[in-house]
Amino acid sequence: MSDPNPPIAETQTPSLSAGSLALESKEAGREGFGSWARLVTLSEGNLFLLLAVIIGLFSGMVVVCFRIAIEWIRLGLVGSALAPPAVRVLLMPAAAGLIVAFLVQRFFRAARGSGVNQTKAAVYVFDGYVPFRTVIGKFLTCSIAIGSGHSLGPEDPSLQMGAGIASALGRRLKLSRDKLRLLAPVGAAAGLAAAFNAPISAVLFVIEEVIGTWSASALGAIVLAAVSSAVVMRSFLGGEPMFRVPTYTLAHPAELLAYAVLGVVSGVLSLAFTAIIAYLRPKLRALPEWTFYLQPAAAGLLIGLVGLRIPQAMGAGYPYIDQALHNQYAWEILAILGFAKILTTSLSFVSGTPGGMFAPTLFIGAMIGGAIGGLEHHFFPQVSASVGPFALVGMGTFFAGFLRVPITSVFMVVETTGSYSIVLPVMISNTIAYLISRKYQDTALFDLLAKQDDLELPSMEEQREQIVLRVEDAMRRPESPPLQASDALAHALEIAQTSTEEILLVRFPTGRWAGVARKDLPALASQHPGETLLREALPTARLPVLHPDQRLDDALRFIQGHELLPVVSRAGSRKLEGVLSLPDILTAYQRAT
Amino acid sequence: MSLILLALLFAVTATLARTYHAREEGLVAEWFQQGNADFAAGKPGKAFEDFRNALSYGPDNQQVELRLAEALLADGRFTEARSYLVNLWERAPGSGEVNLDLAHDSAELRDEDEAIHYFRGAILGSWDKDPALARRNVRFELCEFLLSHNRANDAQAEIAGLAADTPAGDGLLHEETGGLFLKAGEPGKALSEFEAALRTNPRQSQWLAEAGQAAYQVGDYLKAEMYFSKVDRENPSKEIHASLVLVRDVLGNDPFLVGLGDEEQARRSWRDLGLALARLRNCAQAIADNSPSKQPPSDLQPLNNDAQDLQKRVNLRSLGKSAEERSEAMQLVFRIEDATSQICGPAAGVDQALLLIERRHEGSTP
Repeated sequence: MSDPNPPIAETQTPSLSAGSLALESKEAGREGFGSWARLVTLSEGNLFLLLAVIIGLFSGMVVVCFRIAIEWIRLGLVGSALAPPAVRVLLMPAAAGLIVAFLVQRFFRAARGSGVNQTKAAVYVFDGYVPFRTVIGKFLTCSIAIGSGHSLGPEDPSLQMGAGIASALGRRLKLSRDKLRLLAPVGAAAGLAAAFNAPISAVLFVIEEVIGTWSASALGAIVLAAVSSAVVMRSFLGGEPMFRVPTYTLAHPAELLAYAVLGVVSGVLSLAFTAIIAYLRPKLRALPEWTFYLQPAAAGLLIGLVGLRIPQAMGAGYPYIDQALHNQYAWEILAILGFAKILTTSLSFVSGTPGGMFAPTLFIGAMIGGAIGGLEHHFFPQVSASVGPFALVGMGTFFAGFLRVPITSVFMVVETTGSYSIVLPVMISNTIAYLISRKYQDTALFDLLAKQDDLELPSMEEQREQIVLRVEDAMRRPESPPLQASDALAHALEIAQTSTEEILLVRFPTGRWAGVARKDLPALASQHPGETLLREALPTARLPVLHPDQRLDDALRFIQGHELLPVVSRAGSRKLEGVLSLPDILTAYQRAT
Repeated sequence: MSLILLALLFAVTATLARTYHAREEGLVAEWFQQGNADFAAGKPGKAFEDFRNALSYGPDNQQVELRLAEALLADGRFTEARSYLVNLWERAPGSGEVNLDLAHDSAELRDEDEAIHYFRGAILGSWDKDPALARRNVRFELCEFLLSHNRANDAQAEIAGLAADTPAGDGLLHEETGGLFLKAGEPGKALSEFEAALRTNPRQSQWLAEAGQAAYQVGDYLKAEMYFSKVDRENPSKEIHASLVLVRDVLGNDPFLVGLGDEEQARRSWRDLGLALARLRNCAQAIADNSPSKQPPSDLQPLNNDAQDLQKRVNLRSLGKSAEERSEAMQLVFRIEDATSQICGPAAGVDQALLLIERRHEGSTP
């Protein structure tokens, strides 16, 4: 069944299917990974999983160092107080911006941006190749930028660093191009899991946003890498969830309406945030290149100015999220913090300062959620929970609306807080925000950024939403009933004379199907006596069968070498639902386009 | 090679993490100390900023979280404090300190039932330092809370528990328990507690005064007089002296006192009738003076008529012979005192004493 001439598209954008995970040819094995495999007497599949664990260990430790580096730099530059001295607030982000811009422009150009699209590009454009220099650059520039107070987070850079480490290990082990492509998302999951201390969310994010498939083998490696990196992270930095919140209880079903309102507001604000970035980023990138040396510094200065009044809007902002979750701010303050963070994050990001969007997105979501909760609590104290649960739900809601990863966002809230009880409002609110964002903003943020960078990366969201053609969309009713294997050859010949079908299907009592060309039947009859049964006269070859719900793409693989295939019921393969030929498939594709 | 790199990275990460944790712990201690200093200096607003800084470096540090919540409570930021306290409570539901803070927070947020729930949690909870004393203090606080929220019945049960646990030799605790009983409307039990306190220190003026007050409320004026007179001798004050005079008036004018002969009863009844009639006349005059028609109020007229009728029928000698007449005279005295205190304002001096005599002996005959 294998296709000797695979379509060009497949070689350019390989799908990460289970089959593609099987390890390389013997030749490749001899050169590198294979010889190692023989040495430790493990199967190739198991060795790949072992490699995933090693990637997880490396990524976990690098992310731990990265987090510590950010904190050391923050302590050194801004100080240990949550409300730092004014001079430092004003000057440090700008000064750091100058250094970061110099490093990026001179040494680490690939370190620019958040890291998510760069990882996708590695998978889909660069055959899984992420230069190790990018890992170093990302580590240095992001830790300086975030530590100095630029409004960016460490998660997306960790994801890219994980992919870079995986890629470097893969190259070191001389893995093939296919394997290198697979390793990048494995490393990405490891990096993200360690950064968030949330392995489930990391796995889901990589599947939702980077590879877009639930292939069992890929999942195994990704999960192992994420788990091992999270274990490393926890053993060094502690196993507590990122935020500690009191258990939430739904006081009244009407509260869910209040969360629905939060979903609407978050959806609208995520559109606005996306629009700001989509508008400003290309404008700044279109400026002369020498300005790239100054843009992060200018952004830093503006952030410093905002920080003089609102220091919470600087840096990744985790302590302030924690405070919002603990009802520490009135709703008016929360609203101001949310909008201030949108401003500072937009400035940092569009100026090309390396750093991630996850933490600021959580921050904005928490503040907006808290503000909506506070407002609703003010007007409807009998049905609304306090600010804390709204801030908690808001984190996931804005994440779902802005980054368009609805499943990840739900699990992320649960994992980062250790609170499962909040899941119901989170699901409602996230879904609304996601649907609003999707309805009014055709392209998701990361896809938009990729387009701005002239990268044609596959949109996982579009893939999810793509209409899938199934066998039932192309099959037709057979023009004549199938022959039975127990029919005599003479009887079959009579039926064939009345049928217009070129291929006649023959049904065996066991559910097996065979095909015989109408034109071949007379010859067959001449070779055997008339009373010979079809099952005795027909060759033993059997036809593959299809089911109505199978994807038409799959049917293409099976139909090769056959003019007609039976489509049978899943309730019993003797029941013929229809027939399918190659022209039927092509007609269906033509109709769909 | 990869394994060597892994080992090397592990060593670097471990060193970095250890150094960073040490720095974090240092920062927690530094900010915690600063917060405590600010808190002690009466600056809860500054203190909670310090504790917040400390908590950002030690998010698992429950001591810091508790102090942060307490600083927020002290700064009047009850909703903010609540979230941290609930968080702590979920991790340590048996902590007396957390329960007590939650009780305070609930009380401030006007959630009575929840406050009581947490007070009880604090009583049953664990305490690091001197648990017996801590629990007793919480119970006192709970009693005060219940009394201030007009939940005397609930309070009485708690105070009874408190009294049962009070060590016999601890006068101060007996005195405090007595005070609670007094507030809860149980002067008899209060008197027992004050007397228990006085057994440890019979000359303690405040306890004597409180015992006198309890005895006075019970209606045991002999005891009240005894305690008030002791205080009046030891530590005289206007209030105590006034109370002493009042109980002496009661004791000196009460014809129903056990052990009095017919003659003394008659003398007291006759004198009380005279005092009541004087009060009636003064009251009628005062009302008449202040009214435009210069007429005494009509409510007092029947009493005046009854008094004149009684005066025609009885005298000191007839009262000495007839218990019935003494009773009739005292009933009129009580009616006059009741009516005049309603019309002309609260009775004072001996008239107040007559009202107390009425309440003490309602329904009994001399």
